[in-house]
Amino acid sequence: MKKYPRWPIHLALLAASFVMLVPFYWVLKTSVSGENIFSYPPNIIPRDPNPFYYVDVWYAIPFARFFLNSVIVSVMTIAANVVLNAMAGYSLTQSFRGKSVVLMLLLSCMMIPFQTTIIPAYLITGKLGLLDSYLGLALPLFSTIICIFVFKASFDAVPRSLIDAAKIDGLSEWKIIWKVMMPLATSAMATNVILSFIWSWNNFMWPLIATRSADMQTLPLGLARFMSYQEDSTGALYAFCIMVLAPGILLFLLAQREFVQGLTSGAAKG
Amino acid sequence: MVMVVSETAMSRPHFKVRKSTRRAVLIWSFLAPSILIFFLYRILPLGWNVLLSFQAWSPLKPAVFIGLENYREMFFDDEVFWQALWNTLGIIGSAPIGIAIALGLALLVNSDIRGRDIYRTLIFLSYPLMTVAVAIIWRWMFDERVGLINYVARMLDLVDKPIPFLNSFTWALPSVIAANIWQMLGFYMIIILTGLQNIPGNLYEAAAIDGANAFRRFLRITLPLLKPSIFLCFVIGMLNSVTSFDLVYVMTAGGPGHATEILVTYIYKLGFTQTRFDYAAAVTVVFFLLLLGVTWTANRLSGGNAGAVEID
Amino acid sequence: MNNEDFSAPKWKRLLLNRFVLVPAVLILLTVGWNLWVVTHDHGIVEGQVLDATGAPVEGAEVKLWVFNFTTFVVKATTTSRPDGSFEFANNPSHNIQVSAEKPGKGRSARVAIRLYFASEDFVLKDPLRLTDGT
Repeated sequence: MKKYPRWPIHLALLAASFVMLVPFYWVLKTSVSGENIFSYPPNIIPRDPNPFYYVDVWYAIPFARFFLNSVIVSVMTIAANVVLNAMAGYSLTQSFRGKSVVLMLLLSCMMIPFQTTIIPAYLITGKLGLLDSYLGLALPLFSTIICIFVFKASFDAVPRSLIDAAKIDGLSEWKIIWKVMMPLATSAMATNVILSFIWSWNNFMWPLIATRSADMQTLPLGLARFMSYQEDSTGALYAFCIMVLAPGILLFLLAQREFVQGLTSGAAKG
Repeated sequence: MVMVVSETAMSRPHFKVRKSTRRAVLIWSFLAPSILIFFLYRILPLGWNVLLSFQAWSPLKPAVFIGLENYREMFFDDEVFWQALWNTLGIIGSAPIGIAIALGLALLVNSDIRGRDIYRTLIFLSYPLMTVAVAIIWRWMFDERVGLINYVARMLDLVDKPIPFLNSFTWALPSVIAANIWQMLGFYMIIILTGLQNIPGNLYEAAAIDGANAFRRFLRITLPLLKPSIFLCFVIGMLNSVTSFDLVYVMTAGGPGHATEILVTYIYKLGFTQTRFDYAAAVTVVFFLLLLGVTWTANRLSGGNAGAVEID
Repeated sequence: MNNEDFSAPKWKRLLLNRFVLVPAVLILLTVGWNLWVVTHDHGIVEGQVLDATGAPVEGAEVKLWVFNFTTFVVKATTTSRPDGSFEFANNPSHNIQVSAEKPGKGRSARVAIRLYFASEDFVLKDPLRLTDGT
C-alpha cells in the first residue's frame, strides 16, 4: 500500500493517551505531595514528594477491611459463576424438551438491567435474611446470562467426535464435562472469571443498598462514603483513591489480553 | 430366537426410558441454580415492581390497590421525574459523540504503526476501573478551586474566573457526560477495533486497484462493514449511560438541584431515602419501558439483528 | 497460548508464568515488610537537644505531641540527659511532633516527624535547637 507519514498518527495517539492518563497523573501527584490543594497555580511536577499520606490513609480509613470484604465477595462470585454458568451452558448444548422456552427466558432476562430490580431485590434479600452479609452481597451476581452463552458457545465448539468417543468409552455425563469439555473451554473460563471479577469488584449500587454496617462495606462503597465524610482538602483522600485503584490497574496490566478478549466476547452487558 | 428377540425388545425400551429421564433430570438440575438466581433477582423483581406500581404501600401497613394513582402523580405532578427523564434522554443522545471519537481512535490504532498495543492499553485503561473512582477523579478535575480543568482554562485565558462546573445548572450535566465518555472511550475503541480487524484486507486492495481513494474506501467499505460494531457500541453505550448510577451519584448526587438527576438516581432516592417503595416501583416500570423502547428503536434503525450480541 | 518456552521443564514454566510470579513477589514483599515492621515498632523516639551555640542542653523538658483527629496534643514528656539526648519509649502514633524547652535557654520549634508506620523506631537527624524569643 502507499506509504503515508507515520508521525501525525503518533501525535494524535499520543494526545489521546495523554488525555486518558492525565487524570490519573493528577491524582497521583496530589496524593504524593498534597500541594495543589493549597497552592495556586498548581505545580506540574510534585515538589517535595512524600509517601506519608498513604500512611495516614492506612491508619485513618479501614482500608484492609474494605479490601478484605471486596475480595471475599469477589471470590464467592467468581467461584459460583464458573460453576453455575458452566453447568447451565452445558445443559444448553443438549437438546431437551422445553429448551426453546428456557432460551427465550434467558434472552429476555438479559433485557432486565440490574437497576430496574433494586427495590424488590432489596426486599427479597431482606426476607432471606441476607442483608449485610457476604452471601447477600454476592448472590445477585452468582450467574450471568452472557457468561452462560459464552460457555455454551465454547462447548458447542467441541467436536462431536470427541464426545461420541467418550460416550462409547462409557464415561458418565459428569466425567464427560469434567474431562473432555472443560479442558477445551479454558478461554471461556478465563472470560467468565474476568467478567465476573470486574462486575463484582466494581459493583457499587448493590453494596450501597444491601449493607447496613460500616464494616461490611466493599471497596467502592468505602471510597464513596469516606469522600462524603471529609472535605476534599487533604492528600490523604487522593492517596485513598490511588490505593483503591491500584489492584484494578495491576490486575488489568497483568491480564490485558484476557481482559480484552473477555470484554469483547461478553460485550452486551450494560 | 423369537424368545430372545422379545426379551431384548422388552428390556431395551425399559432401559431407554430410564436413561432419558435420568438425563433430563441431570440437565434440569444443571440449569436449576442459574434459573433460580434469575428468577429471584430478575423476573420476580420485575413482576413485583409492576405489582407495587399499582399499590400504595408503607412498609408497616398492608398494601392497598390504588390503580393508576402513582402514574398520575408521576406524569402530572412530579417535576423531578420530567427533569430526570429529560436528563436521561440527554445522556442517551450523547453516546454518538463518544462513539465517533472512538471510531477515529480505532482507525488510528489499527494503522500500521509501532507500539499500537501500548496505545491500545493506555486508552483502554479507564474502562475496567471502578466507576466510583472515575467519578471521584473527575469530581476533583472539575472542582472549582483545585480542579485541573479550571486551571487549564485560566492558563489558556479562556475564562476570567473559575467555572463551578459541578455546581452550575448549565455545566453539571455536560461534565457528567464528559466523564462518562472518558471512561467508555477505550471500550468503544476495542469493539470497533475488533470489527475493523474482521474486514478482509483484500476488499481494500481491490478497491484501490479500481481507483478508489482512501476517503471513498472508508465510506464505502469500512463504514458499512462496521455497522454491527457501531450499533453494538451504541446499544451498550446507551445502556451503560442510562444506568450509570455510580457516576452520577458519586460525582454530583443528582446535581445542583436536580440538574443531573437521572431516572436511576431518582428511583434510588425515592426508594431508599424517602422510602416510597410504591412510587419508586412505578418510576422503575416507566424506566424499564423507556429502555425497552430505545433498544428496540436502535435495533430497528440498524435494520434487524445488527445490534444483537455478537458471540464469537 | 502465552509466550511460554515449551522446552523448559514444567515447574519452571509454572513459576515464570506471570500469574504466579506477580502474586508470589507481592506476597514476599508483604511478608518482608511485615517482618520489618514487627521488629522495628517499639515506639522509641530519640533525639538530642542543643542550645543556640551548639552545646548540649541537660534537663530540658521535651514534649511528644501526637496527632489526635484534628490537632496535636501532648502525649508524653521527658527530660534530656547530660549529653542532651532524650528518648521516648512508647510512641503509639505515626504522626508526631517533638519540641524542647528550657527556662533560660529558650525553646525549640515543634519538629514534625512522619513515620512509615505507627510506633516506628525513629532517631531524629537534626537536633532540637533552643533559641530565645519566638
